[in-house]
Order: sequence, then structure tokens, then C-alpha cells
Amino acid sequence: MADYREAPLATRPKTLDPNEYFNLSPDYRRAEAERAALRAGLKRQYQLQLNNPHRKELIEDPALNRWVYARANPYNHFKATKKTSLLGALFGVAPLFILYYVFKTDRVRLYRRTTYCQCIADQALDVG
Amino acid sequence: MLKILIPTLFLLPTTWLTSSKWLWPTALTQSMLIALGSITWLNNTTDTGWTALNSYIGTDPLSTPLLVLSCWLLPLMLLASQNHLSSEPMNRQRMYITLLATLQLFLILAFGATEMIMFYVMFEATLIPTLLVITRWGNQTERLNAGTYFLFYTLAGSLPLLVALLMLQNSTGTLSLLIIPYAKPLLLMPFGSKIWWAACMIAFLVKMPLYGMHLWLPKAHVEAPVAGSMVLAAVLLKLGGYGMMRLMIVLDPLSKEMVYPFIVLALWGVIMTGSICLRQTDLKSLIAYSSVSHMGLVAGGILIQTPWGFTGALILMIAHGLASSALFCLANTNYERTHSRTMLLARGLQIALPLMTTWWFIASLANLALPPLPNLMGELMILTSLFNWSAGTLVLTGIGTLITAAYSLYMFLMSQRGPLPQHMLALPPSYTREHLLMALHLIPLLLIILKPALLWGWFAC
Repeated sequence: MADYREAPLATRPKTLDPNEYFNLSPDYRRAEAERAALRAGLKRQYQLQLNNPHRKELIEDPALNRWVYARANPYNHFKATKKTSLLGALFGVAPLFILYYVFKTDRVRLYRRTTYCQCIADQALDVG
Repeated sequence: MLKILIPTLFLLPTTWLTSSKWLWPTALTQSMLIALGSITWLNNTTDTGWTALNSYIGTDPLSTPLLVLSCWLLPLMLLASQNHLSSEPMNRQRMYITLLATLQLFLILAFGATEMIMFYVMFEATLIPTLLVITRWGNQTERLNAGTYFLFYTLAGSLPLLVALLMLQNSTGTLSLLIIPYAKPLLLMPFGSKIWWAACMIAFLVKMPLYGMHLWLPKAHVEAPVAGSMVLAAVLLKLGGYGMMRLMIVLDPLSKEMVYPFIVLALWGVIMTGSICLRQTDLKSLIAYSSVSHMGLVAGGILIQTPWGFTGALILMIAHGLASSALFCLANTNYERTHSRTMLLARGLQIALPLMTTWWFIASLANLALPPLPNLMGELMILTSLFNWSAGTLVLTGIGTLITAAYSLYMFLMSQRGPLPQHMLALPPSYTREHLLMALHLIPLLLIILKPALLWGWFAC
């Protein structure tokens, strides 16, 4: 019965109406009816714009605009919490020092090796 | 040199004196003829290296590819701007073309300068037309913020450069690029030398941009109109790289110690900005961050001062200039149709505009450095010379290349594949002008595959 849906031209019998079936309170039913009316109004506006034959531009979606603005402007609402400070230090500060240390020790090792080999080669030539 | 400079200079009276019916065709034809004439510069005939030399300007194998790129870009900028300017009053259109032509003039003088102060003055002078274009012809209110960031980041970085150049002039007596390689080094106290080195380099590192000082770039690229974005991405960033390459000769013994922090920043920036690209919702912002990523690799190649590093940096600069400019033009074709830069809104375009998908495909492949394109050649040369410098860099550059491929494919798949939004009705088909624009960007990139030695700088052997 979970996927029962009424036939297109018939109404649902009273015992299968969700409000009766789940014994919902009259306040809840009223609130639900208001929300359904709001949704229907929004859908009507969208359908009017969608089917308008003179429309040339995109249909503006305010939710999309808000989401894009939020994704594009995080720094205005940035707050230095423990988590953000930890992440910043972990990804922004520590790698710089770690990489500096890694490259410097590697290069110093390479330099010592090349100058040592050069020194040995020079000595060999001097002797010979 | 004069055969290019004088026509560019006279593009300014041309735009103000032609009738409004013939303005755009005339400006386009003249700039195209200048561009074709500039290709002759690639023929470097002299043994000393400097061709077309006089007291003030000259060309050498390092500057000719960048000069040709900046001359080639002017007709492309005019082609790209034609549509969105067509609804504006005539004087504003003339002013726009004037700004682009003055920018072109300053860029030619900057790349051709043989004296560092002239290069510095032209480097600063290019800021003004770009600032005017961004703040006057940008589309959103954030353009003022973007102009401020752009101007002040670059100015703050370059004022120490002026002081450093004047100190060098005082000590050496000249700042001519032909002489300073042979001049005696500037002898200062140890800490003073380090400050002087940093003063010389910071201006160009901010311009490139280096990862820590890159905040101006996404703002400026996103808020600029298409011609502003094109010239910013393709040429103005390369001014920073060119300046670094020229000044490195003078800074030599200090550089061995001083470059480490900047190479670390550049390479870490490749990975960080690449990762940011994967999370962008705004198409132009994604392309802007990808520019930072590629320029980080170029900065790494220049800072290690090896022949392959310089060659790779130069090739990557040219190839990235063409590819990035192509991507901005493609983003603009989307923007002109939907008036929004959000990637989610302009999906599934392969169904609606299939021919443009070809150009999107080639430009995305160029961005991810597909062989045999010159982008790969530049990246490989930089990668191998960095590996020679220190083996650990391979981890960073390898992950960077992987992330570059990921976001380039993400951009292509997001814009071309997938379902077309159902409420988009009026998508005008691609104009011939747009196809011509994309062809003029990408066909030179494909032709460079056949002779990349043109772009190898001093080491074309």
C-alpha cells in the first residue's frame, strides 16, 4: 500500500488520506495546507516564466544566486576557530617550512657530494 | 622596430577619425597587419643576440616570442570585444580601442626595452590602461574592488624595484641590458644584499603571481571584460616572468641562497591553486586560478636559473598565453549567451553548440598539457630541470600535473557534457566571429608544435 496513488480522475478514499491515516492534528493540517499553497504559487510563477513565448533571458533562480554568492565570498564570514586555524597551519604554513627543510638538506647533500668528488678528482690529478 | 611601433601609435588617431561604420573593420585590419609584421621579429639574425638594436630598444631571442604574442593578441582582443561593445555609445567604443592600443604600445616598448628604467616605466605604464578597462567596462560592482587590488598589489611590489634599480644605476653607472651582465656586483652588507635581492624580485613575483601574493589575480580576471581578461592572462603576467629572467643575470651569487622560499611557495602554490580550481563554481575564476597554477610552475623554472628551466619557462609562458586567452574567450561566449558565469547554468553545451565543443576540447587539452602541444614541452622541461635541482620537487610537480589534468577535464565535462538546462531557450548559435577568434588562438598553438625552436629563447641550438 505504500506506493498507492489515486487514479487521475478519482479522489483518495477518506481512510487512506494521509492526515486521517496518521492521525495528524488540525494545526499540522492547516500548516501543511499553507505550505502547499506557497509551493503551488512558486510553481505557478516558474511555469508562467517557462511557458512565456516572449521570454528571451534565463529564468532567475534566487536560491542559485544565493548559493553562488556564498561560494564566492567565504572570506567575509571567516572566523578564526580552532578548526580553521589548524587547517590553515596544516595546509598553509607547515608545508612551506617542511618543503624548505627538505629541499635545503637535499641540496646541501648534493653540494657536499659534488665538491667532495671534485676535490678527490683534483687530488688525483695533482698526484698524477 | 619602427615599422611596428609607428603603426601601433597611429592606431590611436585611426580609432578617433574613422567613421563609426568602419571603426571596427579598420581597427581590426590595422592591428592584424601589425601582428603579421611582428612575426618577422622571430628571425634573429645577429650573432650577438640583439637584433633591431638602437639606443633605446632592441629585440633578442628572449623578448621576440613575447613581443609577437602581445602583437598577435590585439586583433584577437578587438574581435572578442566587438559584440559586447556594439550597444555602447560611439565615444566609449573609441575609448576602449584607444586603451587597448596604448596598452599594446607600452607592452611593445616594455618587451623591447634595453634599459631597465625604461622597462620599469613601461611595466608601470601598462597598469593604467588595464585599470581603466577593468573598472570602467567590467560588469559587476566588484570591479572597483578588483581594480584596487590589482593596482595596489602591483604598485606596492614594484616601488622597492625602483629603489633597487636606482641603487644599481648608482653603482654600475648604467642599467643597459647589454652591459649589466658584465658589471661588477653590487657590494652591500650581507643583510642589505638580501633586501636588495628581494626588492628586485618581489615586483615580478607579485606580477607573475607567486602563490602568497596572488589574491589580485582572480578578482582582476573575473571582473575584467573579455579583452581585459585576455590581455591580463596572456601578456601582463608574462611581463613578470620576463623581468625576472632579465634581472636574474645581475643577482647571481645571492640567488643560490635566496630562491628557496620562493621556489617552495611557487611549487606549493601549483598544488593549492590547482585544488581550489576543482571547487570553483565560477568559470572565469577557475581559469584565473589555473593561470596562477601554471605561472607557479614558470616561476619555479625561472628561479632555478638553468638553461632548460629558462627555456621551459619561456615556452610555457607563450603556450599558456594562447591557451588561457582562448579559454577566456570561450568563457565569454558562454557569458554573452547566459549573462552568468556560473558553471552549473551553462551545462551540456555540446548538444546546443556542437562546433564550439571542438574549440572547448582543444583549449582544455592545451590547458592540461597534452603532448605534442608546446604546453607539455614547457612543463616537461621545467619538471626535469626542477628534478635535477632537487629530487623531491618531482612529488610536487607530479601531483600538480595530475590536479591540472583533473580540473581541465572537470571544466570541459561541466560545460559540454551532461544535461542541458531545460529553461534555456534562446541560445544564439555560434557566430563566425567567435569561430574565427578561437581558430586564431588555437591554430598558432598547433603550429608551434612543428617548430618550437622559435620560442626557445637563447638556447635554440
